[in-house]
Amino acid sequence: MTVEPWTVKYRPGTSRDVAGNKTAIEKLREWIDSWSEGRPTKRAALLYGPAGVGKTTVSEALAQERGWDLVEINASDKRSGEILSKIAGLASTQSTLFSKGRLILLDEVDGVNLREDHGAITTILQIIKDTQYPLVLTANDPWDPKIRPLREACLQIELKRLGVRDGLPLLKSILSKEGVKTTDDALRFIIDKDRGDIRSILNDIQLLSGRNRTLTMDDVNLLSGRDRTESVFEVLRVIFNSRTVAAARRALSISDLDQEMLFQWIFENAPYQIPKPDELERAISALADADMYFARIRKTQSWHLLSYALDLMTAGVAVAKQTPTSGWVPMKFPQRISSMSRTRMSRDLRKRVGVAIGQKSHVSARRAQQLYLPLIRFAYEHSPEKFEQIAVWLEAKDELNEMLSAELK
Amino acid sequence: MLTLMEPALWTEKYRPKTLGEIIDQEEIVSRLQEFVKRAAMPHCLFAGPPGTGKTTAALCLAHDLFGVRFQDVFMELNASDERGIDVVRTTVKEFARMASLSSVPFKILVLDEADNMTSDAQSALRRTMEKYTDTCRFVLCCNYSGRIIEPIQSRCALFRFTPLPDEKIVENLHRIAKNEGLKFTETGLKSIVEVGEGDLRKSINTLQAASSMSKGITEESVYQVVGRAKPTDVHEMLNHALKGDFIKAREELRHLLVRYGLSGSEIVRQIHSEIFRLAIPEKKRIDLVEAVGEIDFRLVQGGDEEVQLSALLAKLASEA
Repeated sequence: MTVEPWTVKYRPGTSRDVAGNKTAIEKLREWIDSWSEGRPTKRAALLYGPAGVGKTTVSEALAQERGWDLVEINASDKRSGEILSKIAGLASTQSTLFSKGRLILLDEVDGVNLREDHGAITTILQIIKDTQYPLVLTANDPWDPKIRPLREACLQIELKRLGVRDGLPLLKSILSKEGVKTTDDALRFIIDKDRGDIRSILNDIQLLSGRNRTLTMDDVNLLSGRDRTESVFEVLRVIFNSRTVAAARRALSISDLDQEMLFQWIFENAPYQIPKPDELERAISALADADMYFARIRKTQSWHLLSYALDLMTAGVAVAKQTPTSGWVPMKFPQRISSMSRTRMSRDLRKRVGVAIGQKSHVSARRAQQLYLPLIRFAYEHSPEKFEQIAVWLEAKDELNEMLSAELK
Repeated sequence: MLTLMEPALWTEKYRPKTLGEIIDQEEIVSRLQEFVKRAAMPHCLFAGPPGTGKTTAALCLAHDLFGVRFQDVFMELNASDERGIDVVRTTVKEFARMASLSSVPFKILVLDEADNMTSDAQSALRRTMEKYTDTCRFVLCCNYSGRIIEPIQSRCALFRFTPLPDEKIVENLHRIAKNEGLKFTETGLKSIVEVGEGDLRKSINTLQAASSMSKGITEESVYQVVGRAKPTDVHEMLNHALKGDFIKAREELRHLLVRYGLSGSEIVRQIHSEIFRLAIPEKKRIDLVEAVGEIDFRLVQGGDEEVQLSALLAKLASEA
């Protein structure tokens, strides 16, 4: 069964379906329409705002509803000046087939790397000057000094976070289409937790309502109890989709997750997000190295070592993945975290059983488990009387019963 | 320890009580009986694979020397459970220094799984052995004599225990099967011997497990026991990895760690011996030995078992 992510399934078809930011979108629409009367003074628009407010979505919807081509270059592409002028430069000056309209989208311009994407800003300025088609730039942080030269040349439009006023009706309509019962307080809670980031919100409500087809405070509490899952999807998305060290390291700044917890999330999901075996090998090897730093920190309390562990587990994994995944692969909850308490209990129990057997059979507790548990397990499954006999003699009947019944579940 | 009940584990129930009851290791037994006759013995090092009678020989020796109530003059410590210098300094010393009150002028201290002691603890032991030679004899049991430090080895008479020959194991199983009134076939017993590889304890355990099935001891029931009881899914795990299926391989690894409670270093050891059986080019084997060695080292340094072993699996998978 393939699960379509709700972020894709409920992507707005037209710019009028986008929730919230009505004035800003209207401003953008007017500017784009003004191109039909010749090139306006500002040939580029800079859409800025935090992640997940719909910058890319709005641009795509605007192009689509006009039947225009969309030429998109985003952060995961390499964009030195040369490459930019090849793609965007040509697209901005050459006419389209059947003289259709065209919208050029330069996504996440504040993500350009001054060294790796050498000459990018100059080239973008040149493209803005020459373009025959509307050019939309997006950025999280319009005040980033790197893109200061661009600011002047652009019409600046701010997109704000999704508020409760626009958010509630949107989420309610999605959930009712999905047949999920919900309550206002639960939705308010999620909108607030995810700080209006609609991508995270949709990921969360999809995850949380998957269990019981309900989304109430009970389901939501599950989320907050689980070490703030609300941002972890976003963090993982960034890590598994960044191609540069800088971008991956930024993932940490948007995460308030415990480091070792985050490690477990990355470790769990790596094989699903990185399908190519040689890339996966490098990623897991980086994680194993990070793990050694965690071990050293635990042993020596040298917390300054933490930064190496963090670099390895984020950037180390990100650069290992070179081939983008096609399609959406759902994130998995780390088995380790969900079974941690269970395992700890069973290890403890197993140890007590080992001691009991060891005392009667002249071997260490550790070896007793290896030597005798298989036999006892077998008796447990095939002959209750024989199991009983052994368990009583070992004076570990309760422990054995508890352990073996838990194992068979 | 006084137990009123008859032992429920057959390995205990049928453990020989005296040296005369031991059915194999004739040469060793006769040397030990010589000690009993003269009521004198040196420190001893019993080395050999599991299930060949090291602990039994030590217990029987004590019994024959001191009689049925040998508890006061005999102590058995398991080095894996109670390792460390502290134990040597306190428990061992305390026992060793008190003179024996029995007719035999010394006590016996058996240290099981002595090769699991740290070398520091072994060094500490060395001095204790020397100092209390008058009052106490040590019997050290281990799988590999090479893991016992040289100075201790040189203070001990070395006894090498060898895997039991098949016919001795069959003889033993026969006796137990008759005594327990089991339904059994000869081929059933033979297959136990086959998987037992000269390890009598393992063979008796297999027999007892198979006896809990209603059909009795047949070839089938034995394989069913072994199939379930043998946690060597290590092979399985490696095969998944070699086929390029990392996710399956990691699942198998988690199974081994959580369900079977195998330790990381146990798994590393098993992988190490599997390397030479895998269908891979010769040069790869050596690469793998190095990779496995690195992980062994990392585990010693406190690395996480699952994460470090996963790195090895990912390496195998990428070469598939």
